[in-house]
Amino acid sequence: MTITRRGFAALGTMALLAGSAWAQDVPAGYPADYAKVIESGKAEGKVVIYTSTDMAQSQGLLDAFTKKYGIAVEYNDLGTNGAYNRAISEAAARQMGADVVWSSAMDLQVVLAADGYAQTYASPEAAHLPEWAVYKDQIYATTVEPIGVIYNTGAIKPEDFPKTRPELIAYLNDNADTLKGKVATFDPEKSGTGFLHHTNDAQATDSFWDLAKAMGKDGVRTYSSSGSMRETVVSGENVMAINIIGSYAMDWVKGSPNLGVAFGTDYTAAFSRLALLTEGAPHPEAGKLFIDFMLSQEGQNALAKGGLPSVRNDVTEGLGFDALNAEVGGSLKPIAISDDLLTYMAPQKRVEFFREWNAALGK
Amino acid sequence: MIANSIGAKRVEKVALTDVPPKLRYREDARLYRRLTIGLLAIAVLTPVCLIIYQSFLDGPFFSPRSQLSLSAYSYVLTDPMFWKALRTTALFAVGMVFIAVPLGGMLAFLLTRTDIRFKRMLEILVLVPMFISSIVLAFGYTVSVGPSGFVSIWVRDVFGFVPWNLYTLPGIIVIAGLSHVPHVYLYVSAAMRNLPSDLEEAARTSGASIWQVSRDVTLPMVLPALIFAAALNLLLGFETFGIPLVLGDPNGILVLTTYIYKLTTLFGVPTYQLMAVVAVVLILVTLPLVFFQRRLLRNSRRYAALGGKGARATPLKLGRQGQIIALAIIGIWLIVSVVLPIGGITVRAFVSAWGQGISLWDHLTLANFDRMLDVPSLSRGIVNTLLLSVIGGAAAVFLYLLIGLAGHRNTGASNTLLDYIVLLPRALPGLVIGLAFFWVFLFVPFLTPLRPTLIALFIAYMVVGLSYGLRLLQATLMQVSPELEESARTTGATVMRGWRDVVIPIVRPGLAGAWALIMIIFLREYATGVYLMGAGTEVMGSLMVTLLQTGAMDTIAALAFLSIIMTAAGLTLALRLGAKIHD
Repeated sequence: MTITRRGFAALGTMALLAGSAWAQDVPAGYPADYAKVIESGKAEGKVVIYTSTDMAQSQGLLDAFTKKYGIAVEYNDLGTNGAYNRAISEAAARQMGADVVWSSAMDLQVVLAADGYAQTYASPEAAHLPEWAVYKDQIYATTVEPIGVIYNTGAIKPEDFPKTRPELIAYLNDNADTLKGKVATFDPEKSGTGFLHHTNDAQATDSFWDLAKAMGKDGVRTYSSSGSMRETVVSGENVMAINIIGSYAMDWVKGSPNLGVAFGTDYTAAFSRLALLTEGAPHPEAGKLFIDFMLSQEGQNALAKGGLPSVRNDVTEGLGFDALNAEVGGSLKPIAISDDLLTYMAPQKRVEFFREWNAALGK
Repeated sequence: MIANSIGAKRVEKVALTDVPPKLRYREDARLYRRLTIGLLAIAVLTPVCLIIYQSFLDGPFFSPRSQLSLSAYSYVLTDPMFWKALRTTALFAVGMVFIAVPLGGMLAFLLTRTDIRFKRMLEILVLVPMFISSIVLAFGYTVSVGPSGFVSIWVRDVFGFVPWNLYTLPGIIVIAGLSHVPHVYLYVSAAMRNLPSDLEEAARTSGASIWQVSRDVTLPMVLPALIFAAALNLLLGFETFGIPLVLGDPNGILVLTTYIYKLTTLFGVPTYQLMAVVAVVLILVTLPLVFFQRRLLRNSRRYAALGGKGARATPLKLGRQGQIIALAIIGIWLIVSVVLPIGGITVRAFVSAWGQGISLWDHLTLANFDRMLDVPSLSRGIVNTLLLSVIGGAAAVFLYLLIGLAGHRNTGASNTLLDYIVLLPRALPGLVIGLAFFWVFLFVPFLTPLRPTLIALFIAYMVVGLSYGLRLLQATLMQVSPELEESARTTGATVMRGWRDVVIPIVRPGLAGAWALIMIIFLREYATGVYLMGAGTEVMGSLMVTLLQTGAMDTIAALAFLSIIMTAAGLTLALRLGAKIHD
């Protein structure tokens, strides 16, 4: 532990020395008094992140941030529930450890804000973001990640794979014999991500329950992570997996021999990883710097390069919003950060959804 | 028969000289005993009480809005899903015990009491399933014998069909039972290793077969160890998370631990009170089990077998036919519970894809391991895991020895308390106890500085590993015949001096073995650290759990493979070390 801390400090100092020549400058378009934020952020020397994003994907962002400001990043990958749990427990003990909570559980992030765990901070980068990506100057969307279908190309040829939602439903219904027990999807009862994907579909489209029934007809098997579904589809155990995280899938198909990814050309939802500054943050100014950096062109480049498509359009690496939209067939519909995300937080609504879900699946 | 009469004679002999020293005996280590057990009780009961308290609230215990209520109980107890999960869990646990205990006992007998060949190598191999956290083990099985596993594909090519289905309840029970054999083996073999062989030899010369000897002589003498092992396995069955999660979940097989998982998303935000209720149910299952075990073992002196004579064990001769049968049984078990899962993980760690129509050779890669070096949290995790298991494991054995001595020949009320608190932490699902410890380190003022350090993890691990470690030491301590200590006492030594100069030197070989065991337990532990670890204190097992949420299987397989290598290396070393002390 001591060694690690020292390591962080050394890294910080080195970066500070390297960066001090130019890092004092306020980024273009920022208010002039931002210099004060930079100065106090540097004085705080460290920023603590609670997140659900694998370090492998965010390493580039963290390195770029530390290089720019000389501020060490303490990165805690806790999973969505872990991040939420730790934040509210620490807040109750008045020992909030996180400056920034950065999570893909969009609904839990809105709950955190609604329950007063988020600080209001108007990021100067907000102007570069679409309207749906900013919530009450408290929560910011940092990525756009399409929700799609992966399939085994040994079982279904890419040219035969359904292109739209109605086609997919018809395909599931027509091939129930060959697909029996070989279709996978997220388990909304066990995975918060899956719950978000499915309930958003149920709200945004009128074909979701037809899809659920079609999956039920095929004896759908339910999983709690995209990665475990990927294993089964690559190995041929399942033929396809529906409503999984498409940004991962786009990366996976590059390295897998028989994996295809498909997005509905008529409708493709997308979720975001949301960032918020915590109330009672131990390093609030450094936290502000981190959020602004994440949303800046530079930070978005680093994220897009790591495989998380950008919420902005001016990235020079990876996929920006428009490029992504073109890639998935032009019907990208990001889930907006809004109070709608609280709808399914009401126990009654949840129970209703689960009842309908289980009925549709014939369980 | 023979064992009983000889054992009885021994007890009689002891009873004659028993009374006067025993009175003083209790007197002068009383403070030490009470202090040690008291401190342990605080360490165990704090998180447990927190969980019980939480179960009687209608919200998180730290929220000012939460009120005392029975709503959590009424929700869980009226939820048909809960009862279904409870039934499945009971079936699972009992089935597991029926597979693991006989097989583990038999393995222990063959490896410690007979002249079976390849003993040294087998002693290491039989422990292998324990090295691996059950999530990874289950994952290994899907790669080898799952519907698209390489063994299944081969079998289908040869026979035209696959005669098994991994994803059914019987399939899961068999897998879990076989993978828990080492837990039984460890307890029973530790007890058997110290048995003098004169009784077995006497039986053998009077014409008993190997089978009769094992059943009528060896078995009764290691009954305490067998009962410990059965009780422990029953609890492990109730607590198992990894195997049902990976193999049962996608097909709707729900057990209590995966039910807890479900409760979290069912309400959107974590419902601690419901998780706590399920944990309380598990505690209620544990208590009668401990009570039952205590009654069975009330007269533990009956099992004192390591006398003052310093008898050396001479192995029973199996004969040619016996060798073949024994090796065949062990071989088959090893293939199913070691070669298949480890083979699966190893293959997975070195390829980027597998399954139907995929040539593994085309996808061989070392890229899965690149991340270990690139991503700081992963390399830190490896270092931290090594520190925790090697150094923390040694420290834990020392603490367990102190606790074990406090309970050794202790007939007072404090020992009853000890018996009950030891199994409690093991009965609770790792995720829940990990969360409770996180709260303890967060809300108890003087503990908060420890939270971001490995010490917090060490304390939690120490408590979670208590049942394994302490029972192992107790089984060894129990075999030190009382007359040895009593002779020290009659020559004027204090209890402490008797422990230091007589008991500890005798059990020392057992300590090296215990260290190896604890090292393994700490290495494979995954659930406890999930909530406690933070940046700088990552551990491999818990990293795998968080990685599983996003599904970075490449990295998980590489981590799993590394942890197997690390444990294998550690265990080989420990066994060498232990063997030297032993000879």
